[in-house]
Amino acid sequence: MLKSGLLIIVLIFPGILSAQSLEKQGTERRSANVKLAYNSSVIYPGIRTGIEFPTEIVNLDKARKGDRHPSLKIERFITLNAGWYHHPDFHDNIYPTLGYLIRRTRSNGFMIEFSPEAGLSRTYLGGTTYRVNDSGLVTIEKHAGYTYLLFSIGGGLGYDLKVNYSKPYTLYLKGNLLIMLPYNSTIYLRPALEAGLIFTPGSFLKRSCKIKSKIR
Amino acid sequence: MRTILKIALLAIMAVACQKEEITIGTNVSDTFYLDNKGASMRVLVEGNTASGTFLVIVHGGPGGGAYIYNTDYISNHIEDKFAVVYWDQRNAGASQGNNNGKNLTLSKMTNDLKKVIETLKARYGQNSEVFILGHSFGGMIAASFMTQDTLRSMVNGWIMADASHNYPLNNRLTREMLLNLGREQMDANLNTEKWEPIISWCLAHPSINTMEEAKKLESFASDAENLFPEVKHIGFSDFTGLIVKEDWAVTSMLFNYLYSKHADINENLEKTGFSTLLYKINKPTLLLWGKYDFVCPSELGTEIFNRIDTNEKQFVVSSKAGHAIMFQDPEFFCDKINTFIYRYR
Repeated sequence: MLKSGLLIIVLIFPGILSAQSLEKQGTERRSANVKLAYNSSVIYPGIRTGIEFPTEIVNLDKARKGDRHPSLKIERFITLNAGWYHHPDFHDNIYPTLGYLIRRTRSNGFMIEFSPEAGLSRTYLGGTTYRVNDSGLVTIEKHAGYTYLLFSIGGGLGYDLKVNYSKPYTLYLKGNLLIMLPYNSTIYLRPALEAGLIFTPGSFLKRSCKIKSKIR
Repeated sequence: MRTILKIALLAIMAVACQKEEITIGTNVSDTFYLDNKGASMRVLVEGNTASGTFLVIVHGGPGGGAYIYNTDYISNHIEDKFAVVYWDQRNAGASQGNNNGKNLTLSKMTNDLKKVIETLKARYGQNSEVFILGHSFGGMIAASFMTQDTLRSMVNGWIMADASHNYPLNNRLTREMLLNLGREQMDANLNTEKWEPIISWCLAHPSINTMEEAKKLESFASDAENLFPEVKHIGFSDFTGLIVKEDWAVTSMLFNYLYSKHADINENLEKTGFSTLLYKINKPTLLLWGKYDFVCPSELGTEIFNRIDTNEKQFVVSSKAGHAIMFQDPEFFCDKINTFIYRYR
């Protein structure tokens, strides 16, 4: 538990581990990423898509002899996402979210990421839904389902093809825990697994992004 | 972008099937939902809908869920003859809703059962013949339903299987059974180390007055049947095969169960009984009990048998079952139910 907590803190505030000296700081207009993933809710299928707007990129150099190349890149994004999964006979769930994403990419291309998200969930019940009035008249309720507040916490890993292959893609796998409420006066938890691709176009919804270089 | 969104929504709507499907056949599996007072309750109808006869399972709990009753044995030995209706009560199983806890009351659940039956008749025909089966806490809903003049006429008959119709009486009978059988076991030098704390606790609590005492008594009662080798021990592992096969909404079941287990309804149930109203019941009645059911002792069945106003009644006890007769002695369970329904449909 303590280890997980430390890992989360280190992912969010990587600078606390070591003293760093700032070499360069500036801003650039950077393209947003687009992601598309198969979104499996355990064994049930779905889709997840989103846009990642970079807000900060920190290149951390290792101060080794003769090696001044960036050894770690830490990126922070604001993300807009939309997910959907289909659980037969239970419900379909569509959930748009706004999130904060931290991604650490090593010089060999492997990356890990962590993201808290918040949003809404709209479910559609997995079957015809009836209402019966007090005199026994049975009618069908269209688009029956519920709206919930949704929070999500996720962690993933992947491989950034930009690093070694100069391709604008990152392959990734990510686990998310969805928390929905109020669900029957309590909460509802749902694990979900994304397997997908992040595409970084040359120019797409460009916005200003802080760029920092540090030596540690 | 709008076109993509439209296509995506259309695709999702195509998969998210809320189109009405009513199947008349011998091997049916239809799921629908009933929306009532803040809860959307899952209803699964399986088996022979062409028979025109429906057995509605009123599950235990509160918060237990109906998924577990849908075993292969029941599918092969009851569903082939009649349709079995697995209804998830509000705040149980795959039932869904927002802030609906205030509606988790016995009277609302009785009203839910009425509407489940009305929906079944609207879907499968007003001439459909309906039987209800209460298990454990489900017996309270069944007894509440059957003792109301306007509701009782909706069904052909009712079945109580290891069920309770009176919680205060239930507590007294459970305590007595634990003391009596526990002492017999101690005298025979069987499981003495396990019986000793149970008997001590029962002696120290001559009456059950608080929720904590009721929960403790129930926990002793659940454990006690496992001290008899003739009773099959039932655990979660017995149902794991059904989780994927039946698309269980596992976390929904878990959180619904945890919520219902601690909800206010439990306090009210501890003071609720239908013994004095049983005289109103004039419908065919089947009482199915496990000899080693400490949770709902068979004397509850005896009381129902003696108080109802019908000669069309049968009280049978399985010598190798405890509180889960449908899983512990399924052959006996299915055989008695089929005979009963064939007779009174």
